[in-house]
Amino acid sequence: MNGTATCEFQPKDYKSDLKPIWCPGCGDFGVLQGIYRALAAIGRPPHEIAFVSGIGCSSRIPGYTTAYGFNSVHGRSLPIAQGIKMANPDLLVLAAGGDGDGFSIGGGHLAHMVRRNMDIAYIVMDNQIYGLTKGQLSPTSHKGLTTCTSRHGSLEEPVNPLLYMLAYGAGFVAQAAPTDLAGMATIIEAAIRYPGFAFVNIQSPCVTYGMEEQQIKGLKAMQESLEALGHDSSDRLAAMDLAQHYGRKLHLGVFYRNPEPPPTYGDLVKARQEELSKNALPVENILDLFIKK
Amino acid sequence: MSDQSPAHNLVFGMAGSGGDGIVSAGDSLLQAAAAEGYHGVMTKSFGSQIRGGESSCRVRISTDPILNPGGNLDVAVALNWEDFLKFGAELPVSGTTVVIYEAATLIPPDRIPLVGVVPRQVIPVPIAQMAKDTAGTERAKNTVVLGLIAGWFGIGAVAVMKGIRKKLAKKGEELVEANQRAFDAGRAFAMANPLKVNMNIVPSETKGAVKLITDGNDMCAAAAIFAGCRFFGGYPITPSTEIMQFFTDHVWKYGGSVLQAEDEIAGIGAAVGASFAGVKAMTATSGPGLSLKTEMMGLATIAELPLVIVDVQRGGPSTGLPTKNEQADLFAAVFSAHGDVIRPVLAPTCVADTFRITVEAFNIAEFYQTPVIILSDQEISQRKETLDPIDTRQFEVIDRLEPSAIDLKDYKRFAPTENFISPISHPGMLGGTYLASGIEHTESGAPTNSGTVHARMNEKRTRKFEPLKDRKDLFEVLGNPDAPLAMVAWGSVAGVCREALQMAQEEGLNVKLMVPYLLYPVAEGAYRDFFASVRKGLIIEQTHLAQFHKLLRMHLDLPSGVRPLARSGANPFLPGEIVAALHNLLSELQRRHEGKLQPQE
Repeated sequence: MNGTATCEFQPKDYKSDLKPIWCPGCGDFGVLQGIYRALAAIGRPPHEIAFVSGIGCSSRIPGYTTAYGFNSVHGRSLPIAQGIKMANPDLLVLAAGGDGDGFSIGGGHLAHMVRRNMDIAYIVMDNQIYGLTKGQLSPTSHKGLTTCTSRHGSLEEPVNPLLYMLAYGAGFVAQAAPTDLAGMATIIEAAIRYPGFAFVNIQSPCVTYGMEEQQIKGLKAMQESLEALGHDSSDRLAAMDLAQHYGRKLHLGVFYRNPEPPPTYGDLVKARQEELSKNALPVENILDLFIKK
Repeated sequence: MSDQSPAHNLVFGMAGSGGDGIVSAGDSLLQAAAAEGYHGVMTKSFGSQIRGGESSCRVRISTDPILNPGGNLDVAVALNWEDFLKFGAELPVSGTTVVIYEAATLIPPDRIPLVGVVPRQVIPVPIAQMAKDTAGTERAKNTVVLGLIAGWFGIGAVAVMKGIRKKLAKKGEELVEANQRAFDAGRAFAMANPLKVNMNIVPSETKGAVKLITDGNDMCAAAAIFAGCRFFGGYPITPSTEIMQFFTDHVWKYGGSVLQAEDEIAGIGAAVGASFAGVKAMTATSGPGLSLKTEMMGLATIAELPLVIVDVQRGGPSTGLPTKNEQADLFAAVFSAHGDVIRPVLAPTCVADTFRITVEAFNIAEFYQTPVIILSDQEISQRKETLDPIDTRQFEVIDRLEPSAIDLKDYKRFAPTENFISPISHPGMLGGTYLASGIEHTESGAPTNSGTVHARMNEKRTRKFEPLKDRKDLFEVLGNPDAPLAMVAWGSVAGVCREALQMAQEEGLNVKLMVPYLLYPVAEGAYRDFFASVRKGLIIEQTHLAQFHKLLRMHLDLPSGVRPLARSGANPFLPGEIVAALHNLLSELQRRHEGKLQPQE
């Protein structure tokens, strides 16, 4: 399990000296605050945390923490995070990025991340637009959206990240928004504590290329707490039902949490290492494997 | 026999349909030869299909150490002619070859479909019928062939059946007995039908000595684990997949792990992550996969993370010749990246030196904090060699430079140092936290857009490699060091050239051979020294564009008489072909002296 408190930490202990490049009013500021709070609640010291991202506005986020950060290349946070976790299962490994990073260029990694069930929490800041490259269509942009790469309106349906994750079989799927900071921090904390792969989609509006202020107000109006709805988060089918409202309704909370988490990939790796190490030749003698008697 | 006296050296080539057990027979023959103290090399070749289709193997057995699969066949075994002929120049039959073929093909010995060649002897053998009669199944055809070889050439009379017995023990005594009968029948046939010329190989003086038998891929993986590699991330691709297979068999035993990723990018990505986490990591691929891994190699370069990438070359571009050899990924290995990148590229020349080169690749990756490419090729990676035992303790293993307690007080991951190499921390290390990134960064790791910082960091990332060029142990010069005539060859082609050198010297040529193990960065000094005495020379490589020749010319002026001997795969160079090219060069020189030819440039 990722989170075991070792000593007392405050959110500020996870705040680095770097100043975010985000535009004033960007939802990602809120996400960052939520991450600080969640990490403080868990209490792992920063040097035991590896925080990996891809590319994009949101992917700058590891640099704003005091953890070991890796701001990698577009779409590849998850493979890198998996390598880190396999190399050192004792680390708390977080991955983060945006909707383009996660569902477009990196979309191929999602299903396999879920299959391997590594104990990694993945936080996507979903703003339905490409921000850092100045406002192109993203995989979660709604159909018909006019952008500089879709001057006449997009012709594609958006992907539904929540439904994807539930369909792939993820053990923890949640959605949050920085408009509910406390709720978001709790959800991120729960995702990190979940023993296995956990996914949090955060509706983090882009104030520059995405939503007008009016639309952000509309987003707030769409907000609805899953808890208040009385949703049973151990019911995957019910979760899938609710997830279909992605884009029309902003459900906040835990869609699904596997009540009986299966062993993580790390557990299985450890068991295999223990079982097979009994038959190891000293590494200096490894070439003896090639002697044909 | 085309290369050396018959008694010391035999080259067998066999071809049949998939399922005929050709490769399995080759394996048995090589193992038997090793048990009887011979040196051996075995290559196999397939069409690019799963079952059915054609398969072939070539087994060269010698009383002396050998580093290539040899030239013309001494013995050709055709289970059917259609399949045999598909291998064309890979199984060259000459006037000294003994041809054995399946009599059921109903082709008379004087009508065998070999155009323009009259073999030394042609023998039809009812192989399938003998298998059926003795073992009750045609599946024992390969055992009959082994019996024929034992009878005619004196290899494996005891050891083959010992090996087969061991392999089949689990499947029951009945099967072992059936194979014994098939083997005996083959041997008896050979005894009853002696060859025109005695081709018995002389007994080896090292009979009973311990020998290893392995191929380049397994050797590479074993060496990586020895060098401390504890993570492998990859994606299956011919002809590199056996490296991942070896890891999945063995790396767990040493506390490591392996990930068969969803694609090539994820495979190398996981390796980059593992390296960031402080663990020695590797990925392996072939040309098409190398293309996909390029972006991550750039990332590891700018983040200064150690990483070993094995590229087992096959014919390209694109899917090209998936199961056949070429050396044409050189440019891709050296240059495929954007931005200013120096990435060390190393190449083994045979199975045995794959051990040293792989350990060296990890040492260089760790010391210089950089991705390193091992440029292997299909020939080395999938051919089996008999090897004398290697004392692994003579190889030093280097680990990356970690920050000291003082460094960690105000840790700057990319701190400027005298040799441009900064101590590297990893997650879990108190005081060492930093941001690794693909974006340009300051000394502390903070992202930056500053051109000044970028220029300084480019200098750090490239100048750190200067000492690598002075590594004399990454080059080998054979022959007369002052010779005016020269060869340069790398990878599997170097193995052929070692033999060509010997042949050329026996023919009275004053010649030398350079074998570089470090292909990049180009060590100008080593080549300048080598070429100082040279008037004529060949850069020998299995590429169409003469890539290595061009790479060298980018970095230094070659003597005007040095030219490429370059051609595409998949057919291997033959030692005789190279010696002939040397003679051509010399006669051209002669003619130029006589004024019959104007200088070229």
